[in-house]
Amino acid sequence: MSSEPLGSAAPPFAAGSRSPRQVATPSRAASAALRDWLRSVWPYRHFYLFIAPFFLFFAVFGLYPLLFSLYLSFVKWDGLTPMHWVGLSNFRMMLRDEVLARALWNTLVIGLLYVPPMMILALLFAQLLNAQWLKLKAFYRAALFLPCVTPMVVIAIVFGLIFGADRGVLNDLLIAMHLRAVPWLTSEEWSKVSVAILVVWRWTGYNMILLLAGLQGIPADYYEAAEVDGAGPTQRMWFITLPLLRPTFRFCMLLSLLGTLYMFDEIFVLTGGGGPGTSSLNFGMYLFSLSFDDFKFGYASCVAYTIAILVFVGTLIVNRLNRAEQVEG
Amino acid sequence: MVAFVRHRRSRAIALSAAAVGVAAAVAGCSIALPDRTAAAPIGAAAPRGPITVWSWNVAAKALQALTPGFEQRDPAVRVTVDMTGARMSTRFMLSLMAGVGAPDVSQLLMTDAPHYIATHRLMDLTPVAAKYEPMFPPAQWRSCMLDGRVYAIPWDTGPCAVFYRRDLFARYGVDPARIETWDDYIRAGQTIVSRSGGRTRMLPLGVNDLESMLEILLQQTHGQIFDNQGRIALDSPQARQALDVIRRLRSAGIRSDVAAYGPEWMAGFSGDSIASYPGAVWLAGTIKDTVPEVAGEKAVWGVFRLPAITPGGVRVANSGGSVLVIPEACPNPDAAWAFVQYALCTTQGQLDQYRSSSLYPSFLPALRSSVMDQPDPFFANQPVGRLFATDITKIWRLNRTSDWGEATTYIQEGLSHWASCGMPVGEDVLGEMSRKLSERLDIPVAPSSDRVPVALAAPSTRIRTVLE
Repeated sequence: MSSEPLGSAAPPFAAGSRSPRQVATPSRAASAALRDWLRSVWPYRHFYLFIAPFFLFFAVFGLYPLLFSLYLSFVKWDGLTPMHWVGLSNFRMMLRDEVLARALWNTLVIGLLYVPPMMILALLFAQLLNAQWLKLKAFYRAALFLPCVTPMVVIAIVFGLIFGADRGVLNDLLIAMHLRAVPWLTSEEWSKVSVAILVVWRWTGYNMILLLAGLQGIPADYYEAAEVDGAGPTQRMWFITLPLLRPTFRFCMLLSLLGTLYMFDEIFVLTGGGGPGTSSLNFGMYLFSLSFDDFKFGYASCVAYTIAILVFVGTLIVNRLNRAEQVEG
Repeated sequence: MVAFVRHRRSRAIALSAAAVGVAAAVAGCSIALPDRTAAAPIGAAAPRGPITVWSWNVAAKALQALTPGFEQRDPAVRVTVDMTGARMSTRFMLSLMAGVGAPDVSQLLMTDAPHYIATHRLMDLTPVAAKYEPMFPPAQWRSCMLDGRVYAIPWDTGPCAVFYRRDLFARYGVDPARIETWDDYIRAGQTIVSRSGGRTRMLPLGVNDLESMLEILLQQTHGQIFDNQGRIALDSPQARQALDVIRRLRSAGIRSDVAAYGPEWMAGFSGDSIASYPGAVWLAGTIKDTVPEVAGEKAVWGVFRLPAITPGGVRVANSGGSVLVIPEACPNPDAAWAFVQYALCTTQGQLDQYRSSSLYPSFLPALRSSVMDQPDPFFANQPVGRLFATDITKIWRLNRTSDWGEATTYIQEGLSHWASCGMPVGEDVLGEMSRKLSERLDIPVAPSSDRVPVALAAPSTRIRTVLE
């Protein structure tokens, strides 16, 4: 039994017969192909109409910027004067761009400086909040989450005072302990550390919530069974908690990778957008500066596209690893 | 099967064609330039209708303060001053790109003006503004021109001096009148630091703020970043001399390593951590806004002229300053120009802003006013207006090209790298910086023989007449 699709009436654009000569020219071939396609979708037009809004929005706000940005990668354009097609020149420039290389290196170093302590602290806090004996859990959860919803302006002022070179709180503490003051924001060595400290403070709570959700997803039976088998707290942590939290960790790491690449607020407010020199300039900040300080939209698109492809590949690898993990599990 | 494949292929071709068509159509829409012929020529009709002006903080308040006077002169025009938030110039650029959303009049930093002018999206004001050229300092006016046409009008100017704390100078026995050169300034600073036990530093000079200091010093040594042909001219004896002053200021143990406008920098206004702030006249507005007004004999702030590089040398430089521009697509250019003309090309408009917000006039006739000689109670009745006007037409003109903004960003990066690495002696900082600038901006480095600037021209007869 077959049912007639909705609206199966003959399409109003039904074409007459085509001669072989008509098909021979490319434009006629394309119009014939379009006619064929319209004829094939016409019976399903109502369904297409229902799903059209999404595709229209996607085309305007997703596909178009993607294609336009790709096009921009091959032109020189400041947004106001006419575009000049430069072919692969932007890509060649990117290969010998010292600032880009430094920005990517800084991104990596900042990531390495903050991700391990942040994840360890987040796990520690998540464990504490998951403990049966802890009172006032909602208060602690809110308190730890608060930094990531605190306005950046406030953070800028407070951390400016904390990291101040002459009268900063941290340096006052160090001097009180008979240690040397540290040029937190005025030396190339320490600027990345300062950014990392701010990021740890700001994003530990967020990661803690994710890990807490992961912890709460581990069935209590596993722990009970392990306890019956004589496993101590360390063994339970090592053989149950950490393996079962691995997908959550991977997710957090992925977010951290993207967060480090496109980090903006922290660097903008703390080191004036990447200083001293370019010592704390990360990829996102560099991209912003290329686009909205220097108005090099062509080159910025080229850099953004290339790095986005690299990130996409990295994400695919992480996902593949996750999937392999699940299959093994 | 073949039919199925063919069908799928034709469907794919059609889909691709449709996608490309949509993208091209949308792209065509978004990058379409505004119709330049639609805007009426400036000065063609009587000013009337509403206009919107974009400006920021103190400057916006100054415009709001003079708006009633303007609306009294031109009652058919209604002005809305929009105190837009952060990164106004970026949003202005995006509005020009989009062809919609730009205001009728906008403030721009003087240093950004050449970049915007080069886009040819600003209104050519030559027919109505050319006559005002002799009434502005040549250094400022040049930044508003391209190929002999005028696209912006200088607003405030930023003659520099040193703002100092009278109470701290008196406490540590330093006489500001004896400071004539940067060497004197450093010696005075060492006295203050030593007598305060290190509690008070002479000046704030953080690693991220060295470029603005270099710009001031380059004007004193008659150096340049770009030569007259737009080539990079940074590696010169004049720039080396300027850099040497920065090195001495930073290594003499007198500076506070704080970021400009950061909390510690601002705290220095009312505490005792910083004794002086070399800076432009507009800093007075910020200081007055921040510290409680103490007038007359109890006033704690004073101003002395910028120290020279060598005895008897240049004691004037400019830092910052703004311009007003009218976008080319402005639908109401007559009303926009009427407002700009009133605000910037009349003595009353400029003095209103000076009185209300300490915006120092670029309009030279305003400097003849007795208002400039009035004692300022905040500065212990010092006539600071006249102090800043001294030698204003002798300010060295830096060649601000459309690459200025980008170049100064790279120079700041290079300087802060150099400073945070301990300012190694013997390193070819300027040569290296020039090479990188050349690479980044795709501009050649000027041959060394062309980097020596011509002697400073005396102000033209017309300017002298205006001033006298």
